[in-house]
Amino acid sequence: MAVCVAVIAKENYPLYIRSTPTENELKFHYMVHTSLDVVDEKISAMGKALVDQRELYLGLLYPTEDYKVYGYVTNSKVKFVMVVDSSNTALRDNEIRSMFRKLHNSYTDVMCNPFYNPGDRIQSRFVSLGRAFDNMVTSMMIQVC
Amino acid sequence: MRKHVGDLCLQAGMLQDSLVHYHMSVELLRSVNDFLWLGAALEGLCSASVIYHYPGGTGGKSGARRFQGSTLPAEAANRHRPGAQEVLIDPGALTTNGINPDTSTEIGRAKNCLSPEDIIDKYKEAISYYSKYKNAGVIELEACIKAVRVLAIQKRSMEASEFLQNAVYINLRQLSEEEKIQRYSILSELYELIGFHRKSAFFKRVAAMQCVAPSIAEPGWRACYKLLLETLPGYSLSLDPKDFSRGTHRGWAAVQMRLLHELVYASRRMGNPALSVRHLSFLLQTMLDFLSDQEKKDVTQSLENYTSKCPGTMEPIALPGGLTLPPVPFTKLPIVRHVKLLNLPASLRPHKVKSLLGQNMSTKSPFIYSPIIAHNRGEERSKKIDFQWVQGDVCEVQLMVYNPMPFELRVENMGLLTSGVEFESLPAALSLPAESGLYPVTLVGVPQTTGTITVNGYHTTVFGVFSDCLLDNLPGIKTSGSTVEVIPALPRLQISTSLPRSAHSLQPSSGDEVSTNVSVQLYNGESQQLIIKLENIGMEPLEKLEVTSKVLTTKEKLYGDFLSWKLEETLAQFPLLPGKVATFTINIKVKLDFSCQENLLQDLSDDGISVSGFPLSSPFRQVVRPRVEGKPVNPPESSKAGDYSHVKTLEAVLNFKYSGGPGHTEGYYRNLSLGLHVEVEPSVFFTRVSTLPASSTRQCHLLLDVFNSTEHELTVSTRSSEVLILHAGECQRMAIQVDKFNFESFPESPGEKGQFANPKQLEEERREARGLEIHSKLGIHWRIPSLKRSGEASVEGLLNQLVLEHLQLAPLQWDVLVDGQLCDREAVAACQVGDPVRLEVRLTNQSPRSVGPFALTVVPFQDHQNGVHNYDLRDTVSFVGSSTFYLDAVQPSGQSACLGALLFLYTGDFFLHIRFHEDSTSKELPPSWFCLPSVHVRALEVQA
Repeated sequence: MAVCVAVIAKENYPLYIRSTPTENELKFHYMVHTSLDVVDEKISAMGKALVDQRELYLGLLYPTEDYKVYGYVTNSKVKFVMVVDSSNTALRDNEIRSMFRKLHNSYTDVMCNPFYNPGDRIQSRFVSLGRAFDNMVTSMMIQVC
Repeated sequence: MRKHVGDLCLQAGMLQDSLVHYHMSVELLRSVNDFLWLGAALEGLCSASVIYHYPGGTGGKSGARRFQGSTLPAEAANRHRPGAQEVLIDPGALTTNGINPDTSTEIGRAKNCLSPEDIIDKYKEAISYYSKYKNAGVIELEACIKAVRVLAIQKRSMEASEFLQNAVYINLRQLSEEEKIQRYSILSELYELIGFHRKSAFFKRVAAMQCVAPSIAEPGWRACYKLLLETLPGYSLSLDPKDFSRGTHRGWAAVQMRLLHELVYASRRMGNPALSVRHLSFLLQTMLDFLSDQEKKDVTQSLENYTSKCPGTMEPIALPGGLTLPPVPFTKLPIVRHVKLLNLPASLRPHKVKSLLGQNMSTKSPFIYSPIIAHNRGEERSKKIDFQWVQGDVCEVQLMVYNPMPFELRVENMGLLTSGVEFESLPAALSLPAESGLYPVTLVGVPQTTGTITVNGYHTTVFGVFSDCLLDNLPGIKTSGSTVEVIPALPRLQISTSLPRSAHSLQPSSGDEVSTNVSVQLYNGESQQLIIKLENIGMEPLEKLEVTSKVLTTKEKLYGDFLSWKLEETLAQFPLLPGKVATFTINIKVKLDFSCQENLLQDLSDDGISVSGFPLSSPFRQVVRPRVEGKPVNPPESSKAGDYSHVKTLEAVLNFKYSGGPGHTEGYYRNLSLGLHVEVEPSVFFTRVSTLPASSTRQCHLLLDVFNSTEHELTVSTRSSEVLILHAGECQRMAIQVDKFNFESFPESPGEKGQFANPKQLEEERREARGLEIHSKLGIHWRIPSLKRSGEASVEGLLNQLVLEHLQLAPLQWDVLVDGQLCDREAVAACQVGDPVRLEVRLTNQSPRSVGPFALTVVPFQDHQNGVHNYDLRDTVSFVGSSTFYLDAVQPSGQSACLGALLFLYTGDFFLHIRFHEDSTSKELPPSWFCLPSVHVRALEVQA
């Protein structure tokens, strides 16, 4: 159901990005890239709120004609962005939230891998956990659609 | 009509009135369901409130006012002219709006003014009303934009972005291209305003693309390029490659790459190839890690195409917008991993003369050059390297490079960038295979002046792009320092010899490297001249030359001087001008051990006994002096012949220290080493050595078994010019009569002067000295007539203690005098029958201690020449007095004598044997000390 899943490092460069219609990858790159503006804005807005009780899920970042972009930011400012087809109206906010949580968990697994160098791209061919991450993302993408 | 009045009031600057009018008009219009007018009224209300709240104007002043001012005419016109321009400006409105916030602002705030939240709500409402009319898009857009500006002031970016998002979707038909561009530009500007740089960049890029959309007849590449450049910060992209050289890449590579591609394309279409080359090389340099193999190929392909028209340079390109594009050096094509300045080859390395001034740091250490010291110093002084380059000589720098590209990389014109010293860099061209591993590249150059040179970097030409890569800017590079001292020019010496070059290379210790190796094959004992041609191939005259030699440690014991030379003749030809040749002659003399070990020992042991007994003055032994005993070659010996022919090698290094020119005055010299490899084939062996006492106590016979281990006929001669012919593999005995040696007279000198208290060493030296004397006295030479080769043979190595003792003069010198005449050797003392013969035994003590007392008995006997000795001579010889003499103790270097007399009663040949009485004292001394000459007395008839 997710069309594009991206993990973005604290310094706003992509650690991982994957989209299903591979032919138009650049479009999603732009989409995710511009969505970072909103993420930044939301984070700075939240910065005033209590850090501890901060909600990691950012909710809908912005809708476009065909897609909805959702964001999620970890406490270490690693961002997850998910692009969902807007025609998929069945998708609830809660489901998105759980998907993000799953994504976060597998990202944590990747970070726990001693062979992973923080800041590197998550590549399935180098890190075995990267492969697990990849598989998880794949499962998220084909879940419903 | 109320609304209209409100508009007019607003234009007139009567804010309070306009608010009232707007309120009224809103109420009225709500009831009549005229949504367009209602929206307009709401908007008017909003603008009035905004002016009230933010008297400074919204956002960028001119922009804000412009739109507000344009509201009314546009709105008024919209029914008739849908798609009116936003740019239409009413100058009157402009001035009144901003400048006249009015003094009455404070008064009516509470009454009709909208609160900031209400403004947004009203705007939303207005927009929703507008959206009901398809042809009201322009107004809707305007309203959106205005709302965004208000929100930007309120710092409510999220809501602003919603408005903008909405604005994007407002469908504006029949917009001209220019308007489209403008619309996107404005959008981007607004996003910028609310802090959404990425979004802003995105729209700017869209605007740029619109400039060159295929539908436009005259694409504005210039504008497109300009807009694209403006997007760069939004993509956190800097065109300075320095920002990328540190650490890992930051930013959204895929997007940045796309943008760079567009930049390249735009600049090319702009007709500025230099610019596109710059962008393309930047793309290649910074995005190399993110490019796929195919992309790499494509990019380099296009880069080569561009550079064929316009080569890439290192000058920064200034853009009309005031932006300058810094040069892009290709530090990644190829990637340099390691830079190392190479020392000169060992033969050309300059050395500092130590005694001069003593400023050389390494004088502290006993080594001229030690790698350990060099290493430490390299760390201490961070970048200074502990060797020197020489002016005018080719110096090398080694780079370890590798090619990250999936195809062969041609690097041309690769040279060094240096500072400090005039340096002539000799560029190299290289071609690196695809994705090569580390690949050593040596860049060379010639320093033209002296001083301290620093290697700053290198320059390359790759794909037609010149780049100057400074080492400081390269990430992950290892250098072992880049600063080297350049010393004044020195001459260069080339050595050629009369001998063939050797395949052997010597590995001497401690940093010395041997530049040339020669080899020669010699027979043991042979000597040969080695002529060395010294040619000055440098540019400076050669003024000084010193030669030293070092024989590498071998197991073989070497006798005599291996290498000897006379430097004076060569030095007479100095100074040697460039291109001139001088010759230098060295004598090689090989003298190894001539003994062969095992046989010698056992042979000696059985001979030694015979010698140690009383000397027999058998006459027949005296007759045949240089006796040659044909000795059959024993089977075991011949089988060992292989052992004898074992070739031994000697290795030595000749060091030529030379200097000249300006370098000499600075106290530098160069060292050139010549390796000498000598194969020594055995010539003759002395398989056995033994001594036989001669008739005289001052002489003895040295018996040598000589073995010819060569494959040729060989003659052996001694000083006394006896020639012995030996066939190949033959072994013969030769006897040489030698005077006994008085070793004690000289050998102390070397032992005394040294503090070598080591008795062993002392003994060794003494032995050597003795061997040398024996050798010089014997003068044994061999000759191979068929090969016309000759040499010496020496017995030094095979003289053992026992033989030496026999060859040595006894420290107790006994002289027997008959009738006052010294009676020795074969001399026959004559006497008359009946007359008493005076017999005197004289003892000279040369030993360092006192000896004696001794008791001597004279035993006369007759030799019948048939092996029978007749000792029963009581009737023929009588003693006057006692036949036994007593000698007192003799002090060192003292002398003592005892006298007796004999009476021969009959004529005949008599021998007197003087015998010691066995007592305890004499046993302490070696028996050879008591070798008394036999006395031969011939008693004759009394002459009438």
